[in-house]
Amino acid sequence: MPVVDVDPDELRQLASTERDDEELKRDLFDLGLEFEGETEDGEFQLEFAPDRLDRLSVEGVARSLRYQDGTDRGVYVPKTNDAEWVIEVDESVPDERPYVTGAIVRGLDMSQTKLDSLIQLQEKLHATMGRQRVKGAIGIHDLTMLKGSAERSSADRSSGQGPRDNAAREGAGKAISYRGITPDADTFVALDSDAELTPGEVLTDHPTGEQYADIVEEYERYPAIYDDIGLFSFPPVINGRRTEVDDESRDLFIELTGTDQWTIDKMCTILCYALDARGGRVEEVRVEYPEGHPSEQRDLLRPDLDVDEKTVTHARVEQLLGVELDESDVVDYLERAGLDAEPLERDGEPAYRVGIPPYRVDVLNPVDVVDDVGRAHGFNELSPRYPDVSTVGGRHETARLESAARDALVGSGFEDMLDFHMTSERDCFDRMGLDIPDELAPDAPLGQRPPVTIAEPYSEDYTVVRTWALPSLLTVLENNTHRAYPQNLAEIGLAAHVDEREETKAAERRTVAAVLARTDAGYEDAKARLQALAGAFGKALETPATTHPSFIEGRTAAVELDGERVGVVGEVHPRVLVEHDLELPVAAFEFDLSALE
Amino acid sequence: MQLPAAQVAVLEAASATDDRTVDAVASEVGESPTVVTRAAFELRDEGLLEVTEQVDESVSLTEEGETYREDGLPEVRLYRAAMDAGADEEAVEMGQLVGASGLAGPEVQIALSNFARKGYGHIDGGAVSADADAAPDTDEEATALDAIAAGDAETVDEDTLDALERRNLVVREERTVRSLLLTDAGVDAMMEGVNVAETVAQVTPELLTSGEWADVEFTEYNVEADAEAVTPARKHVLRQTADRVKDVLVGMGFQEMEGPHVDAEFWINDCLFMPQDHPARTHWDQFVLSNPSKMDDDDMPSELVDRVARAHREGVGEDGDGYHSPWTEDVARGLDLRGHTTSLSMRYLSGHAEGELEPPQRWFSVEKVYRNDTLDATHLLEFFQIEGWVMAEDLSVRDLMGTFTEFYEQFGITGIEFKPHYNPYTEPSFELFGRHPVTDELIEIGNSGIFRPEVLEPLGVDCEVMAWGLALERLAMLVTGAEDIRDLHGTLADLDFLRNAEVIY
Repeated sequence: MPVVDVDPDELRQLASTERDDEELKRDLFDLGLEFEGETEDGEFQLEFAPDRLDRLSVEGVARSLRYQDGTDRGVYVPKTNDAEWVIEVDESVPDERPYVTGAIVRGLDMSQTKLDSLIQLQEKLHATMGRQRVKGAIGIHDLTMLKGSAERSSADRSSGQGPRDNAAREGAGKAISYRGITPDADTFVALDSDAELTPGEVLTDHPTGEQYADIVEEYERYPAIYDDIGLFSFPPVINGRRTEVDDESRDLFIELTGTDQWTIDKMCTILCYALDARGGRVEEVRVEYPEGHPSEQRDLLRPDLDVDEKTVTHARVEQLLGVELDESDVVDYLERAGLDAEPLERDGEPAYRVGIPPYRVDVLNPVDVVDDVGRAHGFNELSPRYPDVSTVGGRHETARLESAARDALVGSGFEDMLDFHMTSERDCFDRMGLDIPDELAPDAPLGQRPPVTIAEPYSEDYTVVRTWALPSLLTVLENNTHRAYPQNLAEIGLAAHVDEREETKAAERRTVAAVLARTDAGYEDAKARLQALAGAFGKALETPATTHPSFIEGRTAAVELDGERVGVVGEVHPRVLVEHDLELPVAAFEFDLSALE
Repeated sequence: MQLPAAQVAVLEAASATDDRTVDAVASEVGESPTVVTRAAFELRDEGLLEVTEQVDESVSLTEEGETYREDGLPEVRLYRAAMDAGADEEAVEMGQLVGASGLAGPEVQIALSNFARKGYGHIDGGAVSADADAAPDTDEEATALDAIAAGDAETVDEDTLDALERRNLVVREERTVRSLLLTDAGVDAMMEGVNVAETVAQVTPELLTSGEWADVEFTEYNVEADAEAVTPARKHVLRQTADRVKDVLVGMGFQEMEGPHVDAEFWINDCLFMPQDHPARTHWDQFVLSNPSKMDDDDMPSELVDRVARAHREGVGEDGDGYHSPWTEDVARGLDLRGHTTSLSMRYLSGHAEGELEPPQRWFSVEKVYRNDTLDATHLLEFFQIEGWVMAEDLSVRDLMGTFTEFYEQFGITGIEFKPHYNPYTEPSFELFGRHPVTDELIEIGNSGIFRPEVLEPLGVDCEVMAWGLALERLAMLVTGAEDIRDLHGTLADLDFLRNAEVIY
């Protein structure tokens, strides 16, 4: 879950409140922001669920507090100035990363604290909505360092290297260009660097470049942003040093590139709300896509501050929350959640047209509006009631069989085990003397089946799902040689193997496995108990001689229940015993639980 | 008269004229004093023997007392050293006397405090002056130590004994001495003749069939002695907890679900309205399989797939929005070890497991789920998830709260708090917190909510469904007090822990 670091004094100031630290923590908890601890500088570390990404900065948290307090009500949309700048998207833009958006914020009275907060918000947005910059990446620049020509020549446009000529377009005077270039087509000085590097060199020679190289290294053309002076940003990897923002910057140019327009627009909106709360003046930026671009619209005015609407009926609110509410209360709760609410009638029933502020990314359906009403009302104010609905309960048939077989095993003196279904090829096959087959062979010894295999396991001890359970029991014996004997252990649990004929391409079964470990354990002890178990379930047991690599030849039999071959019984081979550091004989059996049905 | 062997022996050893102690009788008959005492009391109850009790006090020297008896009391040694140094005329520095007297460690303090108490002299500013008239040779405490060592404790007066006891130089112990004397009835019985009754060690088939059992006495056992340790065969403690949970749920009207551990991401994630680029859908969090890797196209429920895809892309309902994330069927066909048993709930709700379900319904499972995580004391790669859901018309948040309050109360967890939360698949959603039954701490005990329309509508469900999940191991750790989850589950299990775990019922 996301964590945001917030200076409590800054929060108090932005939220216009004088609460002490403890009151703050309590009220933040009610908002869903859990106090996790403090940073070295005394900032609160607040953890919250990843739905309210508009709270990824102190400004967003303060906004939520203001609504909770009733200091603010309803939807607020920042005023914007008309666009002066254009982001022109060139036809060469990388196919993998075609979208761009942006905004300008002027008149910021920057300070180190504000800058830190902005950088944190940028990083948190990258980590969440931006999916580690893959889906969306933010670049923030000092506007005064950018040069966009008011008069652009058509020569530039035809060369494909410079900004396009759109002097004809009204109100748009200055432009930057988003395009794709080959990895070594140009050079620039990246942040935290002194060297002129090509984008290709940045990926190998710059620490930030190395970190994000895997996003773009497969691209044919790398994303690049140009102004009149030249290349100044290499999204999503790194900005150039020329436009670096510091604590004296007043006017910012924000650009975002990504794989989805909506996502980068929302990230941009959240940034603009945060900077608006800091006294900045948002100015629109025009985005122009070329012919043939996948974007649904050719021209966009950004940031997107449109207020979305959802309609929810009063009955739906009451039904989901299970309480009767006055319409005026519902309106009040909605406004205190930062939403607009306009009562209306739908199909003759009272309903609300609810306005959703543009920074909210989590409201997909009217049900999300009901949740906001519930939170504003206080869910813990609702009294629990047991639903007046009658149903008949019961266990699954397979589960009943498993349970009965387990009782019978415990009754014959076995300690019931519960082992992991995941194991390693080494434990499941190698140490048992089995081969690891690629294909399913009908006459293969029990356990010797192609295992269900994990693609990228963390641990080499857990790489496959076990094909049989006997290896698990031998591992328990191995780990408990210092404990009192006899150790008669049994387990009923899952085993599986790859089988293309199954819906999920894995055949899953419940397997019954047992071991008898004591100084005089022998074949007969295992067969005697197997016989008792079969008898208890009314099954006829036959044990024709067979061979199995894990057992001693001449002391191994197939388990046949009602004529069907379902498992193996015998004395475990000394080679396997020694491999498991066991110094006494072990008799064992394993068979399919379904044979007892 | 027939009596058990021990009683006969005691009667024969006892005298009608002289008290004989239990110890004396015991050594004569070759039995332990315990056996003789028990036999004596039984004979007394028969009126054959008189038992008198006398409390003896014994005094003995402690180790420290013995040392002082040999080396002299520290204060006496200090006095002698002081006199040798001429302290009766002029005060002598303490340091000098300590060296001369050979006192060491705590003995110095002991010497100083008793020196003044006994009037051997004065200590002033670290200098010692001795009283020439003192008589350490007749020091009562020193004399008493000698007397006690010689076994003449009775010659020592009570005050001196108290003083020595306070100084921890002697211990006084009380001991009851029992003496036996034959009564007249005892003498009569002896005159008439007392025989040893025959006792039988084992109940045998012959004894029972012959009827002989009626005439024999059975040898008494020491019923309090320790018995041999036996390892009982028993159900695994986590299974017991699972059984308890299942009993509770069946009692609340829930039916049990079953289904595959290896399943398509479609059932595990897509039906749950988890966007395909959700961070939890990377191989870092879930067990993606390399073999088998994808479900066949033919095995995918194509109509349902279309409806789910539409929910992801466009949302559900007039005002609904979808995700702005890519969605492909190829990703949905990918096979994983299930990360939750909600995949089963999806199979049941869609009608693929049991056919179409009409409300009301309650279903549960307590089964294994898999998470690609690091194994430690509180995390396992595979654990049991308790999953449950209720389908009914017009369910509200209050019904959800009522159901879970009832469930947790069965395990002694009360005062449930519902913290609003976010899940991609439920809205509203709640994290459940409860009070630890022992420590009273507020702890997270589950996650719950009402399924979103984007989940239910594609499944063809047009009423409400509320669901919740929690880890069985978490509940088991609460109920058993186990601190390391690895003891509870898996091949790293310690048999001793399982053998000694308390039964759950």
